[in-house]
Amino acid sequence: MRKTRKLLSLLLALTVACSLAIVSASAETVELPRNETLYFAGQQWGTVVGWNPLSDDMNNAMAIVQSSGGSRTLMFETLYMYNMLDGSLTPLLADGDYVWNDDQTEVTVKIKAAAKWSDGTAITAEDVAYTFDTNVAIANNKGNTYSPYIDSVTAVDESTVLIKLKLNEDGTAVNPLMLPCYLCDCYVLQKAWIQTVEARCNNDATEIKKDTGDDVVWSGPYTKYYTDDQKVVLIRDDSYWGQDESMWGSLPVPKYIAHVIYADNAAGQTALKAGEVDVCQEFISNVQDLWEKDGLPISTYLDDAPYGVCVNMPTAYYNMEIPALQNVAVRKAIAMAVDYDAINQNAMTGQSPTFTDVPRSCMNPTDGEQSTFDHEAVADLQWAGNDIDGAIALLDEAGIVDTDGDGIRELNGENISLNACCPNGWTDWMAAMEIVAAAGQKIGIDITTEFPEWSVYQTVFTAASQTEYDIFMYATESSTPAQPWSRIRQLMSSEFIGMEGNWSGNFGHYSNADADEIIAKIPSTTDEAELKELYTEAVEIYLTEVPSFSLMYRPNVFYAVNESVWTNYPSQDDGRNIPPTDCTDGYGIAGLYGLELVNP
Amino acid sequence: MKGYRKYFRKKIIWFLITFAAALLVNFLLPRLMPGDPVSAIVGKQAQGVTSATAIQDMYNTYAKEFGTDQPVWKQFFTYVINLCKGDMGTSFGQYPRKVADIIGSAIWWTICLQFPAIIVGWLLGNILGALAAYIRKGFDKVLMPVSLFFSSIPAFGMAVILLVVFAVNLQIAPVSGGYGFDMIPNLSWKFIVSVIQHYQLPFWSIVLIAIGGQAIGMRSMSIYELNADYVKYARFLGIKDRKIVRYVFRNAMLPQVTGLALSIGTMVGGALVAEIIFSYPGLGTTIYDAVTTSDYPLISGSTLIITVMVLIAMFILDIVYGFIDPRVKAAQFD
Repeated sequence: MRKTRKLLSLLLALTVACSLAIVSASAETVELPRNETLYFAGQQWGTVVGWNPLSDDMNNAMAIVQSSGGSRTLMFETLYMYNMLDGSLTPLLADGDYVWNDDQTEVTVKIKAAAKWSDGTAITAEDVAYTFDTNVAIANNKGNTYSPYIDSVTAVDESTVLIKLKLNEDGTAVNPLMLPCYLCDCYVLQKAWIQTVEARCNNDATEIKKDTGDDVVWSGPYTKYYTDDQKVVLIRDDSYWGQDESMWGSLPVPKYIAHVIYADNAAGQTALKAGEVDVCQEFISNVQDLWEKDGLPISTYLDDAPYGVCVNMPTAYYNMEIPALQNVAVRKAIAMAVDYDAINQNAMTGQSPTFTDVPRSCMNPTDGEQSTFDHEAVADLQWAGNDIDGAIALLDEAGIVDTDGDGIRELNGENISLNACCPNGWTDWMAAMEIVAAAGQKIGIDITTEFPEWSVYQTVFTAASQTEYDIFMYATESSTPAQPWSRIRQLMSSEFIGMEGNWSGNFGHYSNADADEIIAKIPSTTDEAELKELYTEAVEIYLTEVPSFSLMYRPNVFYAVNESVWTNYPSQDDGRNIPPTDCTDGYGIAGLYGLELVNP
Repeated sequence: MKGYRKYFRKKIIWFLITFAAALLVNFLLPRLMPGDPVSAIVGKQAQGVTSATAIQDMYNTYAKEFGTDQPVWKQFFTYVINLCKGDMGTSFGQYPRKVADIIGSAIWWTICLQFPAIIVGWLLGNILGALAAYIRKGFDKVLMPVSLFFSSIPAFGMAVILLVVFAVNLQIAPVSGGYGFDMIPNLSWKFIVSVIQHYQLPFWSIVLIAIGGQAIGMRSMSIYELNADYVKYARFLGIKDRKIVRYVFRNAMLPQVTGLALSIGTMVGGALVAEIIFSYPGLGTTIYDAVTTSDYPLISGSTLIITVMVLIAMFILDIVYGFIDPRVKAAQFD
């Protein structure tokens, strides 16, 4: 017995000694220096899968986000950067502005001479062309999005790219508005690296999209450093070409970009308050309490409500397959009765301009979009909400009344009984749907809320045909170079009717030939006055027919920053014109070059 | 010895039948949920795509990749054949990650959090419960209501209380994660200390609740046994209290051991509440995410691991029972 004890003690001592030896031998830098690291929350959910931008499945939010509203260019870069504040495109890999030909069918883009890949080779026009061709060949999202509009991308010489648009039968471009979207949306990838991937995947499109791209060559200021189930860290590439005077003239300030993978918004916000997060892309209820009540060094893009730049318009769509909703009086009455101020206060805690501040149309509240239509011409059609008397009068006038005395109005002898749906757990949307249901009760329309899980919800509302959801919510497009045309198309174009897996728009399947005609005309219209007329007509149709109605204005990405470590974040009126896109998206990345340490 | 062999053969056959049935249920149940996971994946990638043909092609490619275009019975056989090769399939929600990789990276966090918490909770709870039954008086009067209080706090309540008190207000514990938000995993003292610090709140949020429940159970069982006829008879014979107590607690332990085995068997299901509130990695959130995204292969893979663990725990329990209680062994061989 004593021998066994001795043996066990010896073994234990040996184990401890060995682990001590290993630990001291491998002691190296394990901490990210706080004053060299910018921490994010609300971008990355779940584990990173890989680093291959040709794939749509990498779940790598810090490195791979391609969007016409502003791609994330920390690791991979686009030709231009979109600025949602003024709709401008700033050259990134491109050298100067893009140039249209006289017929508006071709565009020429020059590549910056200084632009280099991480392996030191020059970025060429051939890389741009090969990336486009590969996207189309493997039918990934970018290939499928732009191939209906762009015919070819070719290299005229080392630094000149020629983009030819797809043409209609009359020789005009199918949609010139999609060209600037392409320029600020699609990453440019190295041809040599793509060919390496193609070779190891035997040119199989599915395998290419499954490749994790661990050997990827990048051009951006950051590259992969560390990733696991709990975080992703990028490290600055100090040989980044963009420090050339022809681009930024310096490196971005933080050496590391880190994103802890939080379980939910609450965890991310707790970390923001604790100073463990610098930039938070999450909706924070009563965000002003963080500095007004808690006294924390947290700020937003605007000092006062709505605190952010609202470019999205979460919208309630009417299902046109439901007989009661085919009646325009029912549609408009519900929309008039909804208390939007209550939605703003409850669901958005005041972080949305009201519909009195920015009367409803198809346009978001930015000055650029608001200037596209004639406000006076549509003023009589707009409503600010909570107009119960007006809604009741409208229904009565249309002969939609309660004849059997049960408190619910009938249409064609049937009670108008509807459901209002949005995904479960999307709390601000759920609150909005409750207010829609309450509005229905006030005007004699029975509306009950239903909150299915997202996995079910998304299958139903994108179906070619469905009668399960009567009134249901989804976001609109935000700011892109193709707005507000693209949003009008999303709200009313009948081209999406009957499309299985329709994520593009008109989810309620509304059809209007006049609206279709306007949507078809706008992209090729260049005359400003005519354009304004077309946009005004589109808004008139939308407000008269009410195929859907927006419930609030909302930012595309939220932006709250903790200034305990870093300061000089982009903010309104700081004279830099940097959008509040979290220092990562579109021209918002310019914010990384101006950050300063609070305690240098 | 012959009795043992016959007994174990019978047990193994039953466990194999249970395993086969569980395998079928694990495969079928997720597929009965409403919603189309392939459509969800396509949805993520179809944003901005306006060509119906392109979207349909995307859908078909993924349906073929996941085999969801095949009849369910065929999918089941493919699943079983792949399982025999050690392949649990590809996750829908985290495509193209393999289910085995996802479970493999999450399960160690779960085991390291759950196993010590279950053991510590079980040991402390049973010792306290036994002492309360034996000492009675003031100790019992304090322990009983305290145990009731802790055992009736829901898991999320306990986790939130600990988070708010120790992490947010007192700031003596980290708010979230498995290790420091500013650390890169590395075999160093600093990292190990960070892991231990982050371990505290999730660990105690599980242990405190477990202690209360175990103590109440053990106290009741012990009181029952202390009043049994054999105890009175032993006392009458003049046997020392210490010896009697050993017999008493050995008998009182039996249901507690069953509970322990089941807890260990199901622990790989993860501590969902602790994982979510403390953003602690583990299988709980993995399974939760898999369910919300209808990730069939990941749900089936996770539930398969739980099934296997429970079966193993029950098998071991059957053997251990024989040693703890000779009456059980005798009954088993009948």
